[in-house]
Amino acid sequence: MSTDTSQRPSADGARSRTPGRPAGNSRRRLSAAPWAMAGAVFVAVVGTSLGLNGVLRGWSWLILVIITVAVVLLTTATARSLRIPQIGTQLLGLLALVMVLTLLFFNSSAVLGIFPTKATLDALGALLGQASDTIITGTAPVLPESGVVLVICAGIGLAALLIDALAVALAMPAISGLGLLAIVLIPALIKPDSLGIPGFLGGAAGYLLILAFGQWYAPVAGTSQAATRSTGQFRRAAALAAAAVVITALAASLIPGFSTGIFPQGSHLSAFGNVSGLNPMLTLGNDLRQPRGAGKLVYATDAPTGLYLRTTTLEDFSGRSWEPTVRDATRRLDLSAIGEDSSADAGSDHLTTTTVVESSDFSTPWLPVPYAPTSVSGLAGRWSWDPETLAIEGIDATALRQKYTVRSVMPVLTRSVLSQAAQTPPETLDPVFMSLPGDTPDIVRQRTEEATAGAQTQFDKALAIQNYLRSPQFSYSEQTPVANGYDGSGMDVLAKFLQVKSGYCVHFSAAMSVMARVAGIPSRIVVGYAPGQLTGATVFLGGKQLNEYQVDGHSAHSWPELYFTGLGWVPFEPTPGRGQVPVYARLPGAPGAAADSPDDVLNARRNAAATPPASASASPTPAVPNAAGPRAANAAEPLWISAAAAALLLMLATPLLVRSGKRGRRRKTVRSARPGEVPELAAWAELEELAYDYGMPAATGDTPRTFTSRLLRGPLSGWQRSIQQPPDDPGSASGIADGPGTGPGAVRVLLTAYERRVYGPEEAAPTELSNGSSAGAAAGPGGSDGPAKGPDGPGHPLLEALDVVHRTLRASSTAGRRLRAELVPPSALPWNRRSRSASRPPTKPTG
Amino acid sequence: MPANGRTADSAGPVTAQTLMTADQFQDLSERILASVNTVIDGKARAAEIALTVLLARGHLLVEDVPGVGKTLLAKTLARTIDCSVSRIQFTPDLLPSDITGVSIYNQSTQKFEFRAGAVFANIVIGDEINRASAKTQSALLESMEEHRVTTDGTSHRLPEPFMVVATQNPIEMEGTYPLPEAQRDRFMARISMGYPDRASEIDMLSTHQSVSPLEAVRSIATVREVAAMMDTVDAVYVSSAVKEYVVRLGQATRESAQLRLGASPRALLQLLRAAKAHAALRQRNFVLPDDVVTMADVVLAHRLILERRSASTGQTAAGIIAAILDEQPVSPVRSSRSGAQR
Repeated sequence: MSTDTSQRPSADGARSRTPGRPAGNSRRRLSAAPWAMAGAVFVAVVGTSLGLNGVLRGWSWLILVIITVAVVLLTTATARSLRIPQIGTQLLGLLALVMVLTLLFFNSSAVLGIFPTKATLDALGALLGQASDTIITGTAPVLPESGVVLVICAGIGLAALLIDALAVALAMPAISGLGLLAIVLIPALIKPDSLGIPGFLGGAAGYLLILAFGQWYAPVAGTSQAATRSTGQFRRAAALAAAAVVITALAASLIPGFSTGIFPQGSHLSAFGNVSGLNPMLTLGNDLRQPRGAGKLVYATDAPTGLYLRTTTLEDFSGRSWEPTVRDATRRLDLSAIGEDSSADAGSDHLTTTTVVESSDFSTPWLPVPYAPTSVSGLAGRWSWDPETLAIEGIDATALRQKYTVRSVMPVLTRSVLSQAAQTPPETLDPVFMSLPGDTPDIVRQRTEEATAGAQTQFDKALAIQNYLRSPQFSYSEQTPVANGYDGSGMDVLAKFLQVKSGYCVHFSAAMSVMARVAGIPSRIVVGYAPGQLTGATVFLGGKQLNEYQVDGHSAHSWPELYFTGLGWVPFEPTPGRGQVPVYARLPGAPGAAADSPDDVLNARRNAAATPPASASASPTPAVPNAAGPRAANAAEPLWISAAAAALLLMLATPLLVRSGKRGRRRKTVRSARPGEVPELAAWAELEELAYDYGMPAATGDTPRTFTSRLLRGPLSGWQRSIQQPPDDPGSASGIADGPGTGPGAVRVLLTAYERRVYGPEEAAPTELSNGSSAGAAAGPGGSDGPAKGPDGPGHPLLEALDVVHRTLRASSTAGRRLRAELVPPSALPWNRRSRSASRPPTKPTG
Repeated sequence: MPANGRTADSAGPVTAQTLMTADQFQDLSERILASVNTVIDGKARAAEIALTVLLARGHLLVEDVPGVGKTLLAKTLARTIDCSVSRIQFTPDLLPSDITGVSIYNQSTQKFEFRAGAVFANIVIGDEINRASAKTQSALLESMEEHRVTTDGTSHRLPEPFMVVATQNPIEMEGTYPLPEAQRDRFMARISMGYPDRASEIDMLSTHQSVSPLEAVRSIATVREVAAMMDTVDAVYVSSAVKEYVVRLGQATRESAQLRLGASPRALLQLLRAAKAHAALRQRNFVLPDDVVTMADVVLAHRLILERRSASTGQTAAGIIAAILDEQPVSPVRSSRSGAQR
């Protein structure tokens, strides 16, 4: 990016109040400004939209976004460089947006590819309908279909226009962050890991660029003063940003609200409100990752153990992301007749349970009920049920604040009963429970064959698969899939899971379901809730004593159900450390058989954290994945402490960094003296700041000479300024030897150079009328030769003088003062900077 | 100059064709000051300001009690320079024509002839100027401003360089006509001599016993040389930073709540000229804010009029100027700050 860094001679960024700027210079700036700013806006918008990866699958959409934004911004920048009025610029940008969207999405129906026709509008309607379908029903990450991408491109294009208008037309670059926020909001709301690092970095970098260019190139007359900023803009912005990041990191680690407060996980909201919604697989993971379980459901049951509560099932494994099958045609309304078929299935003893559910703030469209419901009463609103899956779905109602009683019947299953089940599925079973999509990865088949090798019956195979997944090579983690980008559902996700071998219930249940189908067993994934915790309360219902359990978002769970002919759907528990392994599925001595401990029912993390010894002693093997959590947390603790310490150090070092940055900049100005920069001013500013750091600030009314003469009278003597006897001859009165190598000499070198530059005649080199041949004239020996010609010589007299002054100040100060000045320079402290700016050197008027 | 005017060249305007070299200027100014200092003991600053005012083409008002050497200072300065000097002792019966001159009918030529008054000299010493009537004072002040005398429709140009050194006695008030504010504005600077310090006074008692030291003063510089020095002063460079500073000082006096009358534009012009002369005397060809600060008190103090309340609380113009100098930042950035604080 070509940036014109020639600035006003104010080395310290002091604004000049003199309006006279060379016209040619400002013209040049104006012509470069639109392009630089357009580049900055482009970086910001495209950078921020990087965060949409994860909302949309893959990166193919990005090129369309880049084209859209580039066209829009190029149009506005061109319009600006042609001096078209602002409103026209924005209209042209809008026109360009429409055209480029037409070209990208509707070029077949448009005239010349860019001019929309009536047919284009129809196509637009179709795409928008497609987009709204995707948005409502899709699970992030959604496929980058045309509709969604069109909406995203249009939205981002409009955001780019908005940012452009704010930053350039209205000259409010800082406010332009609002436009970026609009883009940030989408991934922040939808993605489990929020915006993500690339999106944040890209957006932040672009925003900083906008701010920087907003200061450098202000094409609007009202902000031309701001355009006279110094070259230190970038460094200052960087220092500021570093400080902001440090403070944010500190605040996030110190304020409890960010991990457990009102908005856990940094106010990362669930996509569909409080708990769960239309996308069971997506919201399940989010619920699990809520540090504090969101929502609460209480049920009381007369069953001997806690019950799994089902909400819905997934059985169609085709497509990129699995969703509940919609069977509106076969849904039935009468809840009293629910489950009649399944009870007929049962060929053995039955256990009938009564459960009272109070669902307070759970708001899923599916009713959480234990399997297999035979009747549900007490519901408000209209509900329907699916005979295939027994999932109960509200027609005009949700589970929110319902209280209902469920009767459920479950066959008493034993290993022997299951082992004797018929080996072929009945023909009446819907083939969807058996079908494997063509894209089933090979790794699934391989693993299934490995796991089920040697198993005879279907039940043996099922057990083998379950135990394979519960074996120690798999670990439970709610974060790993997010971190590795395979959160969600689908065959790709499954393949990735089987490689990484870390995930949570969604992955384990999907794996077992698909592997079961590979092994020839019909299967489906059930979404619902694990049994939860006993509250200790009992409820009496019709003379029976019901134990009360409590379920929250952390109990969100999914598990596979496998179909055994003659027995019906049989649940399994392949997820290590979660739920209860059913009695029939336990193998003595095998991994996963030790789930007798009721603790195992509980949330893995909470359980492990609260009662690690119990968990460890009761079930040594499954505890391995459990223990990984707390151990990792313990290991992370010193990391956190050291990170916090580093952050604190960085924050403490900020003044030092700011100060040394300024010093370096000034020294560079002195050394290189590019056109437009004034080395003498930079050196003088550094001298003033040095003096400030060492407790001798320049007073408001100080002339350069009064200031230096006070400096020379030493840090500890009185500083009374005398008008009657101006120190016209600084240094000589103090009687100190004053060669340029001594403190007084060095100060005089700086003073002379500064005075000549600021007050001396401009064209000819200002000279003293007398070269001090007698009477020890104002300029000492150092003053009359070196700096008058500028710092081009190899020695850089000004820099040497600064060094000498610094050394002298250091040597003549107390240890405390010295430490303060060197480590926490007062001049760089923000509360001092305000008053500091009062003592900036005058700028040399150029007008 | 009016076109119908006739110019009387009593001494002739002296202009230097070339500027002095730095060494010449320094040498000459140091010799002048040394000479003055041999007569006036311990008053180096007063002598320097007097020379500064002379080189800045201004007039000097010396205000002090009798007997501290006001007139002696003026006389010594006049003698040091080889130029015409006249001394007017102002009394209540002094007439304007005594100062400016009068046209007398010459019987032999049968014409009116202009007989120049006391003001026609390079250095005019006006002793106890406040003793004369306002009319007479005005006659002098007019010629000070315009460097010419007009009688009977004829302009008579005063010699160059032309400097009035007036003395005034602030104690003795009876029968005096203190200079009104507008008149005081005509003087570039006002100084007060003050009593000499102990050593200087002892020194003075011994040296001034028998013969007046004034007798020993030799002229050191010619009129032409002084004019050249003035031209050198004129050529001193003033950066716009300094000009802005001067203007800000002036504004501050006008905005000060303690002052009824602040510095006039003429006051600022004279302050800058004094600063230029001061810079030249310090061997510089450009003005520093320090020059302005040094001259601010003597140039501005006698022009300011204090609010009655400030005067009654014992504040002085000098004190207020010192406060303004302390408050006013030298750089423009500072001024915006203090402006915001006000």
